[in-house]
Amino acid sequence: MRSRATHLAVAVVLLGVGLMLPRIFAQEPPAAPPSQEPPNVTIVLDQKGQKPIKLGIPPFRRLSAMQGGAAQAAQELEQVVRQDLQNSGYFQISGPEAFQGLQLTGDFARDLEAYRTTGVETLLIGDLRAETDKIVFEGRLFDVASGQAILAKRYRGAFPVSRRVGHTFADEVILFLTGKRGISLSSIAFTSDRTGQKEIWVMDYDGQNQRRITGHRSTSMSPSWSPDNESLAYTSFFNGPPGIYLAELASGRKRPIVNSGSLNTTPTFSPDGQRVAFARSVDGNVEIFSTDRGGGGLRRLTHSGAIDTNPAWSPSGGQIAFTSGRAGNPHIYLMDVEGSNQRRLTFEGDYNDGAAWSPTGDLIAYTSRRGGRFQIAVTNVVTLGTQVLTSGAGENESPTFSPDGRKIVYVSRRSGTKQLYVMDLDGGNARPLTKEGNNDMPDWSRLPAER
Amino acid sequence: MNRKWMVWIVAPVLLTVLYGCPKKKPATPAQDLDVDTTTVAPPATTEEVAPQTPMTPPEDQQEVDPLASSDLQVVNQELQRRGFSPDVYFNYDEAALSDDTRAKLARNADLLKATQLLVTIEGHADERGTNEYNLALGDRRANAVRDYLTSLGVDAGRLRTLSYGEERPVCTEVDESCWSQNRRGHMVITGRANVG
Repeated sequence: MRSRATHLAVAVVLLGVGLMLPRIFAQEPPAAPPSQEPPNVTIVLDQKGQKPIKLGIPPFRRLSAMQGGAAQAAQELEQVVRQDLQNSGYFQISGPEAFQGLQLTGDFARDLEAYRTTGVETLLIGDLRAETDKIVFEGRLFDVASGQAILAKRYRGAFPVSRRVGHTFADEVILFLTGKRGISLSSIAFTSDRTGQKEIWVMDYDGQNQRRITGHRSTSMSPSWSPDNESLAYTSFFNGPPGIYLAELASGRKRPIVNSGSLNTTPTFSPDGQRVAFARSVDGNVEIFSTDRGGGGLRRLTHSGAIDTNPAWSPSGGQIAFTSGRAGNPHIYLMDVEGSNQRRLTFEGDYNDGAAWSPTGDLIAYTSRRGGRFQIAVTNVVTLGTQVLTSGAGENESPTFSPDGRKIVYVSRRSGTKQLYVMDLDGGNARPLTKEGNNDMPDWSRLPAER
Repeated sequence: MNRKWMVWIVAPVLLTVLYGCPKKKPATPAQDLDVDTTTVAPPATTEEVAPQTPMTPPEDQQEVDPLASSDLQVVNQELQRRGFSPDVYFNYDEAALSDDTRAKLARNADLLKATQLLVTIEGHADERGTNEYNLALGDRRANAVRDYLTSLGVDAGRLRTLSYGEERPVCTEVDESCWSQNRRGHMVITGRANVG
């Protein structure tokens, strides 16, 4: 995993006129203005208002003979591109089947008329070629109406990085056609007990490439990405009382952030990566503190006498959401980062915990008990409008937003064991990402830094 | 006298003879060793073997107080034999001590005050609710137990709290009879205070 980036050695060649064209989609409308409306205002979470782009993807062409590793890499790459574009939700994709009846020559200019009859607006043509131990992929977008090439990229990489090449190209397509950054290269940290003990794991956003980060053979939990995606803060019992540690992914190094006292849990990074907020036991009760990355500069932020725990730093950096039992039951509260201006956010459900901010900072998702069952709920921090996204049995818990804010990964016990699922922001399209052991406490990374 | 212990001397000797032993530097000669080889043939030389541990039995064979044992498992068992309750239980999402719990803790406090033992008080929760909140709840339960023991005169410096939340259940069925066993404060002797 560490060497993948260097391994990749992608030769990206701009062949077309693509980047000169204006991005088709405008920015999202600004967040709703502050409102004095009482709660219970329904918030519109679905993305169905956006018209999907009709994208045709004929089978990728193999321009050289491929066997063994090359054939496998080619197949994987094509699959990843299709799946990423499908997962993004921006497209109505016509796959290979839709083109089976067409009389195609393989020459795009001559086939244009045939493609026009299918109603696709944009066509993605993929060409694959093997070079000893490398795969060369060239992906092009054509505007079907004009017949013009609008984007072309070429990548060359060793067979094992074919998935990464596919993700990279899919995000290029998404960016070009929608103006939004894709999430295909993002990762999800989580806990898994598949080795017998709870360790911290990381996987690609699509559930692939699951790998263990810690080997403490104790209980490790609550992973939280640093904003640069290079480290994870987490809680572990390996040294006795639960402390907060930092795992650097590239070096594999682990070091303590705070492990004094009897209990330190649930770390969350400030968006500048300089501070960590967490819950700590003091005088017989758990309160929210913050500290710098090295464990110095400890500040106490809450003084409630009830449990205050599970902080989540807002994307803008100015606020911290947290859970408090001060009203008798656990509920989500907000405060400014120095602890002032504490106010209650949730009034529905009788057990709310695990606040997770949307990347734009207007929504908070959390675990909410409704009618005795745990569900995923979302509340707008301005209007306080609340919507429950899951239903039925299965204990749905621990939501985390995708870095584009369009999806939520959460934990469900609907299969009998705890597994991670991903769903759209309106609660639709839920599908499992894990199946081995029990998997819990997901945290979705930020987008990789722009190149 | 029981001579079973001699097998521990004879056996390594035999192994040495049968399989050979690279002649590194000569082992410390065994000086006071009188090995009875009558039960085992072939005869073995004794020069190369040094006793690993003193084989002399403890000089003082008098009864010792099990609470003074260096084996903490023995200490925990003995305390329980004398009426120490290792577990007290809580209601769902609560850290309040019931009358029954207070009575148990009073007995525990009396026993502890007569010793210099160190106690770790673990706080546990049932699986309902989130792992994160349950960790905080376990901390609250452990501290409720600690505070009550302290109020009864147990030195706070001998009490340590440790919350496991729902991470270490004693029972894993999904029903109340099981959950109620997991909502507990668990007291375990983990050491001895240095006196003087």
